[in-house]
Amino acid sequence: MSTINKHGSRARELRDEAFEFLSKKKVLAALTILPPMLLFTFVNLVPIVGVIGASFFSINAFSNEWQWIGVANFETLLSSDSFYDALSRSVVYAGGSVVIQVVFGTTLALLLNRSFKFVNIARTFAILPYLIPNAVIGFMALWMLNSQWGIVNQLAVQIGLIQGYVSFFGSQESAMLAAILTSSWKDSIFVTVMVLARLQAIPESFYEAAKMSGATAYQRFRDITLPNLKGVFFIVLLLRAVWMFNTFDYIWVLTQGGPRGATTTAPIYAYNVAFGTSRLGIAAAVSTVLFLVLLVAAVLYFRIFEPSEEVRAE
Amino acid sequence: MSIRNDIGQKWSSVKQRTVDKPWNPLTHLSHQGRSRGWNLLLNALLVLLLFVVIFPIFWMVSTALRPTDMIYNVPQTLLPQAFSVENFVNTFEGTNFPTYFTNSMILSVGVVGVTTSMSTLAGYGLTRIDIPHKKTFARIILFGYMFPQILLAIPMFIFWSRIGLINSHLGLILAVTATALPFGIWLMWKFFQNVPISLEESAQMAGASPFRAFYEIALPMAKPGVIAVAIFSYATAWGAYTIPRIIMPTSENWPLTVGIHMFTIQKQTLWGEVMAASVMMVIPAFIFVFALQKYLLEGFEVGGQM
Repeated sequence: MSTINKHGSRARELRDEAFEFLSKKKVLAALTILPPMLLFTFVNLVPIVGVIGASFFSINAFSNEWQWIGVANFETLLSSDSFYDALSRSVVYAGGSVVIQVVFGTTLALLLNRSFKFVNIARTFAILPYLIPNAVIGFMALWMLNSQWGIVNQLAVQIGLIQGYVSFFGSQESAMLAAILTSSWKDSIFVTVMVLARLQAIPESFYEAAKMSGATAYQRFRDITLPNLKGVFFIVLLLRAVWMFNTFDYIWVLTQGGPRGATTTAPIYAYNVAFGTSRLGIAAAVSTVLFLVLLVAAVLYFRIFEPSEEVRAE
Repeated sequence: MSIRNDIGQKWSSVKQRTVDKPWNPLTHLSHQGRSRGWNLLLNALLVLLLFVVIFPIFWMVSTALRPTDMIYNVPQTLLPQAFSVENFVNTFEGTNFPTYFTNSMILSVGVVGVTTSMSTLAGYGLTRIDIPHKKTFARIILFGYMFPQILLAIPMFIFWSRIGLINSHLGLILAVTATALPFGIWLMWKFFQNVPISLEESAQMAGASPFRAFYEIALPMAKPGVIAVAIFSYATAWGAYTIPRIIMPTSENWPLTVGIHMFTIQKQTLWGEVMAASVMMVIPAFIFVFALQKYLLEGFEVGGQM
């Protein structure tokens, strides 16, 4: 009897000690904040810092020998026309697709923000593309725009847009445009969801008050809707521009950078340098340049928008 | 508050402007006729946009469901003239489809598990414990959220090949987690902010341990956030292409997104099989998200960005 009691109180003591230990701020911090931060450092920060370091080395892809060569990789890179061509194609690709995404996505969001009979079904259908993997979208586009059996070719000929079947991804003139349109389909929905969420957050009373003071639909749109969308437009433009500038997956599935380099954007260029020619040091230098572009965008983001204000950080 | 004032000011200027407005063909029409015509126009535009959104999905399904030899009929018919599951059977028989599909599942489960648990811990810790430089933390995490996959994949390949993390399930899970974790932490941080700390404190005063207060009070209240992070990380993992393409030189652990290239042999693509495989890739995502749709929208609202 007494041993059980003794045993029980010992266990309780241990438990109390454990809880006391766990409740110490430092221990709790170590258990909750430390593991995610270590993981974040390992998978996000180390690769970026490492690749900047690697850009100063000549790396043999096969023997993995590293040799310090200073800024020679950047000299090679910045004196090659193909790199500038790739950067400017990235600008065209990112600019074109962001414009299409914002126009299409916002229009769709505004149309879905009205009240009509099937609004919930329409919203549900509209979100579907957002769930489809980019690689699958690439194959869907290749099939729909196929030069022999593509349904888009067939419909375009039927309504008289084109004379005969076109090889959209096979010609240097149309490949970039086709890639931009394909890449915009899904990501327009990103814009739609963000804009729609913002639109829903505008209090109905604003519109009612405006109506009572005799504002027309156009005036309500211009003076209530648009000013409220300014913030979300800024985030969407910035984030989408950065991501589209660095998009690899769509273009790799659609054209692998072809035909004859017409869609070789900066990420495709980096991939080709790294794995086509095995010049890992130069690939690291390309990555570093892309990172600097990203850094500029991030500074803009934090300067203008200051999203970190949204969390309490006293 | 400032928005309200802003709108108020805009209003008084609007009212003044409307006093003597110029002739406008739209306002010249009768009010009823105008709004009805306007609505009709907007509905027509919506139908057109929804057509653009839906048609590719319809065409994928429609192609996948016809017999293989009818896929290359010209002109194409919108609906299959005969239905067949031949393409689906073909993808399963004699191809690596089942392996790649399993790999995609392993990847998704791993990424969802790691991201959700780590984000929840971080969100709880960052809102409950005072640590210095929280603002710098917030910035670094948001900056991490902007990292494009190509920028992570090339360094990962360079370094991870030395420590044996490439070509493995574990390495791929960790790598893809990199694209989901920053947003997950951010979302849970904001979610736990809205879970009042006073409830946990009163539970602790009533004798509950801090862990019980977390598990039985804070966690259930943050459940919508946890689910939103799970959906987001699942969508990221299920669709991952750039990272596996680059850090998986050999094919045995490829997810289906990369494995789908197997249907292209010497520049000839088996379109029926590709579309059938695509349909099977899309269905789990649709089911998963439809079941949890309301949490997703909540996540969008709290996260503010995605």
